[in-house]
Amino acid sequence: MARMLRFKFSRDESLKYIAHLDVLRLFERATKRARLPVAYTQGFNPRQKLVFGLPMSIGLTSEAEYADIELEEELSLQDFISRMNEGLPRGIRVLEAVEQKIKGNIMNQITAARYEIHLKTPKAMSLYEMDTLIQSLLEREDISVMKKTKKGPRPVNIRPMIYTLSALKTDIDAFCLEAFLSAGAENNLRVDLLMEAFEQETGLKVSILRMHRKALYTSTYNEWKNPFEVANG
Amino acid sequence: MQIKLDDSLLLSVEKPAKYTGNEWNMVRKDPGKVDVRFAFCFPDDYEIGMSHLGMKILYHVLNKREDTYCERAFAPWVDMEALLREKGLPLYTLETFTPLCEFDMVGFTLQYEMSYTNILNMLELGGIPVWSRDRTEGMPFVIAGGPCACNPEPLADFIDFFVIGEGEEVTLEIIDAYKQWKQAGEDRQQFLKRVSRIEGVYVPSLYQVFYYEDGTVMDVLPVSADVPDTVKRRIIKNLDAVDFPDAIIVPYVGTVHDRIMLELFRGCVRGCRFCQAGFIYRPVRERSHEKLFELAKASVEKTGYEEISLVSLSTSDYSGLPDLCNNLIEYTEKEKVSLAVPSLRVDNFSLGLMEKISKVRKSGLTFAPEAGTQRLRDVINKGITDEDLTSSIRLAVAGGWTSVKLYFMLGLPTETMEDVEGIDDMAINLIETCRTIPGESGKALRITLSTSCFVPKPFTPFQWEPMDSMENLMQKQYHLKDRIKKRTRKVEYNYHEAKLSLLEAVLARGDRRVGQVIHAAWKKGCKFDGWDEFFSFEKWMEAFQECGLSPEFYANRKRAYSEVLPWDHIDMGVSKEFLKKENLKAHEGDLTRNCAVGCSNCGAQVYGTGICIKAKQRGLGYGQDAEI
Repeated sequence: MARMLRFKFSRDESLKYIAHLDVLRLFERATKRARLPVAYTQGFNPRQKLVFGLPMSIGLTSEAEYADIELEEELSLQDFISRMNEGLPRGIRVLEAVEQKIKGNIMNQITAARYEIHLKTPKAMSLYEMDTLIQSLLEREDISVMKKTKKGPRPVNIRPMIYTLSALKTDIDAFCLEAFLSAGAENNLRVDLLMEAFEQETGLKVSILRMHRKALYTSTYNEWKNPFEVANG
Repeated sequence: MQIKLDDSLLLSVEKPAKYTGNEWNMVRKDPGKVDVRFAFCFPDDYEIGMSHLGMKILYHVLNKREDTYCERAFAPWVDMEALLREKGLPLYTLETFTPLCEFDMVGFTLQYEMSYTNILNMLELGGIPVWSRDRTEGMPFVIAGGPCACNPEPLADFIDFFVIGEGEEVTLEIIDAYKQWKQAGEDRQQFLKRVSRIEGVYVPSLYQVFYYEDGTVMDVLPVSADVPDTVKRRIIKNLDAVDFPDAIIVPYVGTVHDRIMLELFRGCVRGCRFCQAGFIYRPVRERSHEKLFELAKASVEKTGYEEISLVSLSTSDYSGLPDLCNNLIEYTEKEKVSLAVPSLRVDNFSLGLMEKISKVRKSGLTFAPEAGTQRLRDVINKGITDEDLTSSIRLAVAGGWTSVKLYFMLGLPTETMEDVEGIDDMAINLIETCRTIPGESGKALRITLSTSCFVPKPFTPFQWEPMDSMENLMQKQYHLKDRIKKRTRKVEYNYHEAKLSLLEAVLARGDRRVGQVIHAAWKKGCKFDGWDEFFSFEKWMEAFQECGLSPEFYANRKRAYSEVLPWDHIDMGVSKEFLKKENLKAHEGDLTRNCAVGCSNCGAQVYGTGICIKAKQRGLGYGQDAEI
């Protein structure tokens, strides 16, 4: 039984075209349809106490998104999951939930994310060639890309935000890149921005088939942790 | 065929979720297991179309039938359209990604004239010939309905048949007729004959238009004896008995009206002479407040929406308003749902009501005096006086509102410069009189004045009137702008483009020949004409020239009462005789009482329902303002 919960959810192909703010609204309506006793903020414009770990950009699928929710009364974790899923459209599923024993804002806790990027190259390419391109990219100290900010586009060096980047060959002209990137409120590297930099720096025009988030992490004392562990203490 | 869209396409357009469907409450059926596939098309962007109540109602009514699958399509935004054309992909429905040309019926709703070019564009994108005469056996029937269908003539050559009036019942009769026709194995022409016998259905190809040499209509005649001379508008007699959707589709993308809409009643008792809605939806028919409350609860549970809005032409005129609001306020507070009650007249009741429901800050209040002088307000039968308005606004300002919007029209029949100057006089007087109200808000009051250009519409007492010339309208706009600038900084002034209104005037009262112009304009690239960023007056004027027609003939010409109007074969219930009387009274400045006070014999009694019956039963006591 829990009143403060952290839950993990997935989003599949059918709902990947929805912008982050629309996902937020979708969840707020889903809790109403599920008649969950969600707690609200005080004030003129009461909002549900529901916080998401990391925004999902349009086009991204995921198997590991996290959010915190506060209820007005205790529910069993299983009850919460099944009711939530009744209110959610098919493309989004709550997979797991834990009690949040230690209060903390998930938004500030997320620090890294792992992605899979499925892409096609214009012509057949060996894994060695791809690896060489990736190595040349990673050897740079400065990878400057124009990033949209509130003050307009400005150059940002994204190199420090790439922790690892490697490739698997999936077809004669197709690869799956695995990227481990800095994420969260402080230094967030969006995967589409990474791919922009990849094309810009390597000169290779690829078509992206799928962008998928595999995992989100929090870090304490330089150790990557699953967001559930942090919630549990 | 099922259209497949890949990411390279969807990720390069704005708001791709407008094109992928799958919303909560979207109806899922096996298209192979139904008899009739119906594509409901809204000729504008998804965000506008998904805000439209009529579409939600008909989607629900049609899909309740097991033998029918109603799907949706919208005008793709220009970025999406360019990609569809580039890749050779047809316009499809959001439910099953089926191209429009594969449907049995493709239905458009005509909410505003400026969406007409989008209809042609959607037909072409959907793989359907735009001219009705080019459609052959096996192609969909293209139908249209909605308020603009009351003058169907400008679209007569593109639409196979029109539905005149309210669609809940007649649409089902059309589906039945379609099934019978299919079973009978008849041809296209025979289906059109079949539906022409259904009351409320207008098949334009079964009517021929004759013109005089001066371009006015001589007559509109059925091509054979078994086609009715006039087409009677359909209405729903008892709103409580007809289906109203509660499990409405909840879009992912924010839309213009992203909320539950509760339709209180249809029609309006007021009879303002410029207002088409005030005449073409008569008589007033209410839903009971008990039924509405049930609908509200069911809708919240099935959609998860966080807001309910009451919908009608004039909320204050709803007789069950106090009961409904009491119940709704209690319920919405408990469920954390907000309640919007628009188009209220300001009085003690409504201010008290707003106090109870709006916990948010007191932002803007909107009033529509429509004209600046009492004389002109009497001409248009807008039954409010300067005193009414002043006391309403003083009441609101004393209650804490500090921002007021006032709506006016320029170019109303008989308008003089004195009337125009009455507009800013009124605003200045309001600022002055509110200054004396104790407290902060009186001095803080800001007024926003907006003027639109009056467009005479069919089935109103002004249907014979010329629209004011563009030069006059622009002169009036500049004059007003100039005066306000000189007199005060507390009044802001906005006005609508006269060019857009001129075109609206042509399309609203156009005859069948105007279809050529719509086609020519569309060929030149006109679409989304209601959007400032796309509207091209020049292209439209070129189109008129090419077709040898003059916009002034349709917009700025005074018609004689004796003239046959292009829509005279459509019977909306309100009689031409009544409209003529109202026109004469307008020129005399005589007022006509509203239906709640007493019957004025407009002709809508023929429907034998709604306020016409209640007024008879209760004498004059129906829904009077004083009771509220």
